[in-house]
Amino acid sequence: MSYKIPMGPYHPALEEPYKLDLICEGETVTDAKLHIGFNFRGIEHLAETRNYIQVIALMERVCGICSNIHTLTLCQALEGLTGQTPPPRAQYIRVVMAELERLHSHVLWAGIASKLMGFKTMFMTCFEIREKIMDVLAAISGNRVNYSMNRIGGVNRDIEDPLAMLGMIEKLEGEMMKTVIPIFTTSSTARSRCAGIGVLTLDKAISCGVVGPTARASGLGQDLRRAAPYAAYSELDFDVPVEQAGDVRARLFVRALEIMQSCQILRQALTKMPPGEISTNDEKFKFITGTATSRVEAPRGEVMYSVSWKEGSRNPSRVHVRTPTFANMPAVRWMVMGARLADTPLIQASIDPCYSCTDR
Amino acid sequence: MTLLETLPKKLGSSDSWVEKGGVHWLAPCPLSVRELCMEMNVAKARFVTITAYQLPKDEGFWLEYHWDLDGQLLGFPFPLAGNSIESIYDLCEAVDWIEREIHEGFAIEFTGREYEPLLLREGDKLGVNLREPAAPNKPVSGLSGQEEVKK
Repeated sequence: MSYKIPMGPYHPALEEPYKLDLICEGETVTDAKLHIGFNFRGIEHLAETRNYIQVIALMERVCGICSNIHTLTLCQALEGLTGQTPPPRAQYIRVVMAELERLHSHVLWAGIASKLMGFKTMFMTCFEIREKIMDVLAAISGNRVNYSMNRIGGVNRDIEDPLAMLGMIEKLEGEMMKTVIPIFTTSSTARSRCAGIGVLTLDKAISCGVVGPTARASGLGQDLRRAAPYAAYSELDFDVPVEQAGDVRARLFVRALEIMQSCQILRQALTKMPPGEISTNDEKFKFITGTATSRVEAPRGEVMYSVSWKEGSRNPSRVHVRTPTFANMPAVRWMVMGARLADTPLIQASIDPCYSCTDR
Repeated sequence: MTLLETLPKKLGSSDSWVEKGGVHWLAPCPLSVRELCMEMNVAKARFVTITAYQLPKDEGFWLEYHWDLDGQLLGFPFPLAGNSIESIYDLCEAVDWIEREIHEGFAIEFTGREYEPLLLREGDKLGVNLREPAAPNKPVSGLSGQEEVKK
């Protein structure tokens, strides 16, 4: 006999407010329905009432983890409407911020995943590492969450001594290599909780249109930093880790390898950072009538902004945001089918969902 | 020739892509949205999103469908005189939530599909979240902002 277990919107196993209606037979999940929108904020609508300075501050608040990515994507779209091209140094600083954000997001996720596996020591280790990355972000921007780094035509703050950060990157890489990655990849506890669990096949990944590490863990090698480079990514050398298994372990592997790749990108960006201005310093730009679109590879996958403006207007006429969790979350239904009920919190967490982004 | 270059002809258009604002646009799209979706599936393009615009006065809506083809963002605009368009949910599973969100936010009907309960959870009115002006912020006391500051 099948029965329904509602999980959420407020539940100890969920980090954020959403609801999973799990249809179970015994301990096995046979189907699931997902419900979102419990904290829907109408930010797209609100953006139409904000000027070009206010809208950047507003969109930074779409997400509490990848706030920088949202302003980067928005500013790239606004630069398309104003004809501004950020100077090369600003493009490198944007890469540094984006990769530091990816690092802290992935390490945060590793901590949450550890906690859900019942591995609380690793949770503490991950959060200790993450704190160090947050300190670097705060040292650069003066803020821990909303960095206010991006502006139309560049960035707001310079990295005065980029080479001084190399030590931190090396230390971080060392800690990841010494503790986090070996434990996640070789520990029998991690393997037994993650291998073969929550499988998303390649076919399903394609039909669901999933993005980011979730897609790459199912064998889809898409990454906008490589496929459609922005900022200074075209000048940097890095690999795009892809796994084929499509299970929770593959998602874990992809993120672990991406942490190492981010360290490699950071090292190159800090070493190669050219001297010069950090913004166009043009205060008299004009918006042209039209729509500009920008896409960026956020830690969870592709973020897309479409911004429409009418010449002479103070505010955008439309801002549409497509966040990665909005694309990835429907696929959870297929991941939990056939899984044990006890595995569902870890499975849904394995896509690194962000409901701040989804309920934008 | 690349797949991107040959695609307009395959879609039955004599025009080529117009690159504007970071998107390769094909406008007007010679196909219906369902025919377009089938062609995108054949080309193995990945569905990205639909952006909805409410046109001024009673001019209807404007929907922009986006697919990704090997890192290139493709855009196909569909003007709507009324408030309905065929759903492509049965052809492209990835479109489910965005069709539902636009249905709720703009009260656009995607015909040929059933809707799950509301995504956006604001009563039972369609279009309430994005079409009505936001209520001005008022403190819990009910006083206006300036009066609240004075108090």
